[in-house]
Amino acid sequence: MTRIKRGYIAGKRRRKIRLFTSSFRGAHSRLTRTITQQKIKALVSANRDRDRKKRGFRSLWIHRINAIIGKNKKKQYNRYSNLLYNIYKGQLLLNRKIVAQMGILKGNCLRMIANEIIT
Amino acid sequence: MKMVNAFNMKRAAAGLRRINLDGLRWRVFDAKGQVLGRLASQIATVVQGKDKPTYTPNRDDGDMCIVLNAKDVCVTGRKLTDKVYYWHTGYVGHLKERTFKDQMAKDPTEVIRKAVLRMLPRNKLRDDRDRKLRIFPGSEHPFGDRPLEPYVMPPRRVREMRPRERRAMIREQKKAELQQQNNDGTKKGKKREAPEESA
Repeated sequence: MTRIKRGYIAGKRRRKIRLFTSSFRGAHSRLTRTITQQKIKALVSANRDRDRKKRGFRSLWIHRINAIIGKNKKKQYNRYSNLLYNIYKGQLLLNRKIVAQMGILKGNCLRMIANEIIT
Repeated sequence: MKMVNAFNMKRAAAGLRRINLDGLRWRVFDAKGQVLGRLASQIATVVQGKDKPTYTPNRDDGDMCIVLNAKDVCVTGRKLTDKVYYWHTGYVGHLKERTFKDQMAKDPTEVIRKAVLRMLPRNKLRDDRDRKLRIFPGSEHPFGDRPLEPYVMPPRRVREMRPRERRAMIREQKKAELQQQNNDGTKKGKKREAPEESA
């Protein structure tokens, strides 16, 4: 049998993967075997963290709402659970993200809304 | 008597250059008569920046905390004699210990510092947060020219005393009253102090 080289098929495949990994650090963007591994890991993390991101942001908004409640609302003795319950009862379609952002940017709006809801 | 870990006023004021932002407030905590753990948990929330609506977990945005009167911090129960601080030096068999009383005698600021540091999350920001904590045993501090804000502790619900403690307290009160009556009756001008209990 004549000798047949494999040609550039494997190289084409690896060039695509290398393009994906081109901005990684050190050996992770240079060595072929490591490149394939790192691409798989990166895509797995991205997939998993797309759901984690939603969790993380929700927890961040809750932290921020708690901070606002603790600081300002001591006079009315409000709690996070009370505030959200009143929001649901008042049929306001505010989610935690909006409430947290309102607390940072427009604190007065939030205070007015809270006053309306509680009483 | 040579104090090895004595308090150093210069060291407490140093290191301010490493803290970046000065949009931070300077909060003053007065530890006089406060219970150790409850005070430390409030300090930990302030140092982390968790009372600000712009809290971000990957960025250190806590306020500068100054704690005064660290030598007057209280503990409940028998912790004054029974609370022991342990640490291991790394050599085999060298587990060292020191009681609360000895630690207060040596360096009262370390008590609050340990309490707060152990309440902070163990991550890369912990050292930066440590740098924002300044603790002083007395009421003097070199930060007089900064805009300081006193921190008002939230109101605390003290649980009522257990029956045995209450009986002991009533007994001591009666003893003190009897002693005072004896003093007024027989001896003139001699003052005797009633024994204080650390509560």
